[in-house]
Amino acid sequence: MVQAQEPSGSDGLSGRPRAARSPPAEEDEAAKTEELGRRAVELARHYHGKIETVPKVPVRSLADFSVWYTPGIARVSLEIARRPEAAFDLTGRWNTIAIVTDGSRVLGLGDIGPQAALPVMEGKALLFKFLGGVDAIPIPVQVGSADELISTVMRLAPAFGGINLEDIASPKCFEVLEELQKKLPIPIWHDDQLGTAAATVAGLLNALKVTDRDIRSVRTVLLGAGAANLVTARLLIALGHDPHRLSVLDHHGILEGEREDMDALALHNRWKYRLALQTNGGGRQGGPAEALREADVLLAASTPDPRTIHPDWIRSMRPGPIVFALANPTPEIWPAQAREAGAAVVATGRGDFPNQVNNSLIFPGVFRGVLDARARNIPDEIVIAAATELARQTARRGITAEHILPTMEEIEVFPEIAAAVASRCVELGIARRTRTRDEFLEVARRRMARTHELASALRAAGLIDPMPDDDPAPKEKS
Amino acid sequence: MTSSHPHGHPARPPNPTEDPAKQIHLRLAGEKDLPQLVPLLLRLKRLNEEFDPLLKVRPDAEVRAREVLKADLQNPRSVLLAAEGLGTDAGKLVGIVRATVRERPFYAPDSEGVIQDIYLMPLYRRHGVGEFLLQETVRYLKERGAGLVTAEFPTQNEIASRFYAKRGFRPITALHAKII
Repeated sequence: MVQAQEPSGSDGLSGRPRAARSPPAEEDEAAKTEELGRRAVELARHYHGKIETVPKVPVRSLADFSVWYTPGIARVSLEIARRPEAAFDLTGRWNTIAIVTDGSRVLGLGDIGPQAALPVMEGKALLFKFLGGVDAIPIPVQVGSADELISTVMRLAPAFGGINLEDIASPKCFEVLEELQKKLPIPIWHDDQLGTAAATVAGLLNALKVTDRDIRSVRTVLLGAGAANLVTARLLIALGHDPHRLSVLDHHGILEGEREDMDALALHNRWKYRLALQTNGGGRQGGPAEALREADVLLAASTPDPRTIHPDWIRSMRPGPIVFALANPTPEIWPAQAREAGAAVVATGRGDFPNQVNNSLIFPGVFRGVLDARARNIPDEIVIAAATELARQTARRGITAEHILPTMEEIEVFPEIAAAVASRCVELGIARRTRTRDEFLEVARRRMARTHELASALRAAGLIDPMPDDDPAPKEKS
Repeated sequence: MTSSHPHGHPARPPNPTEDPAKQIHLRLAGEKDLPQLVPLLLRLKRLNEEFDPLLKVRPDAEVRAREVLKADLQNPRSVLLAAEGLGTDAGKLVGIVRATVRERPFYAPDSEGVIQDIYLMPLYRRHGVGEFLLQETVRYLKERGAGLVTAEFPTQNEIASRFYAKRGFRPITALHAKII
């Protein structure tokens, strides 16, 4: 039996031999991060959280409460008791989602627990409101197993039109998402899987276009077998990528059917196991060096260390390869280095380089769309609809090797994604509400604009404090 | 150029539409198969290790595996089968079955064919190949006089449990263990 052997010239994902260090200076990065962290703590102390609930109905006098509350409200409850779907009309359920986390893998911080995850979930709620007009409620929960998390979310579901799972460790996150998608009649999303994968696929579709490649004939290597890459692989295959021309690598090297740990994977991570059986035609064995030879595309979502990808590996790829180095906060190779080694298109997870692959380009539009269609779930077709629409909208505005995805400033893409997602829900027969694409677009635009008007009005009225250090609205440096 | 197989072992999944009998060549093993059968048996033992710490694989398991398989070859009551790949996998062993016929002094039927170990490489699973392996093993055991067939596997192995249950097997004896 052939063992998955350690190839010469590489030690798996950590990538020996080491590449020379190159700009930008890591000290500057560290200083910048340190400064942002200090400011975040200061502002958290000042504002004591980032969101609050605000009434959206007039209360002229206490007498109005006899309809907003008891006794009048009893009739509304009865209607819902008689016809549960009425909740989407008679309450805020249609636009309210829960951001649920168990705190088991928060940002790059690891298992810091639900309480410590709360500020991150509040931040996400803010993004949901600002970019998607969605009322998102942070709900960090104290649970142990995947089953406990699943049953907890099941119990929370009656109040929500959708669930956004956040910062849950892999492979627990697969189990939880898969089960909840099966059991609940509302959209369930896990951004680290679906959002990141959709943004990656969108970027890749345009990168293929820019380099004149066809998804059906390229050879692609996915470096890292975490939540995002496993879903990226699944979506690529659904989009027509030949699974045999796809190789996925984890810390032990290329995932393939003969690896010694296959049986352990079958028991503990069936998603990885299935992919190992499905991909890597020709039975390549070894590490990144072996996998990347003659490949067209490298999608890395692995170790945040700029020495993870050796430039020689890129040189061994086909001419003008596509390289996505998506680890945060530090890409697996600096973009300048990747280009020097011949990469035609380079993308990272960061806003200070061209081509940022950012899940925030996806989730606001997806949720706006599924909520407006009152969808019953989010199958992969919806994820693909969001990704292809993001790619299409970017292409409409003109794509180059330095611009395969919009920046976060190009907010006009969000309602377009929402409309594409909502109409796809209608086509798939999972929408509770049917509208034309143009109608969905109009609704999405209006709902997204309303948040901005609301926030401006509250600021103008002095109901939202100005920043204590009177810093003008921070702008992304590029 | 598309992908090559630099290490010379291009194990490809069999075509699922094909007859399982045409995806592998199943035959009685011989002395020359031992170098390839030992790693297959060890893979199974390491899989069992995942289910219970009392199934921890010994450091000398490789040497022992060789001895055990050799003894099987000499034992007329034993059935040692080798599943060989076809096509690009020709000459390569992708599965193993160890089974033996035991006497049942107190019960009827009086002779039992025990499937001790059965392992198939991951790429060959789920295409009816496992089923074929089982049927053939039962045939060999019957030839050697077995009146019923039993299968041994870790209690926690629910996949095996379901595999056998689906084919009419049920648990008849339990083996409980504790360290002393």
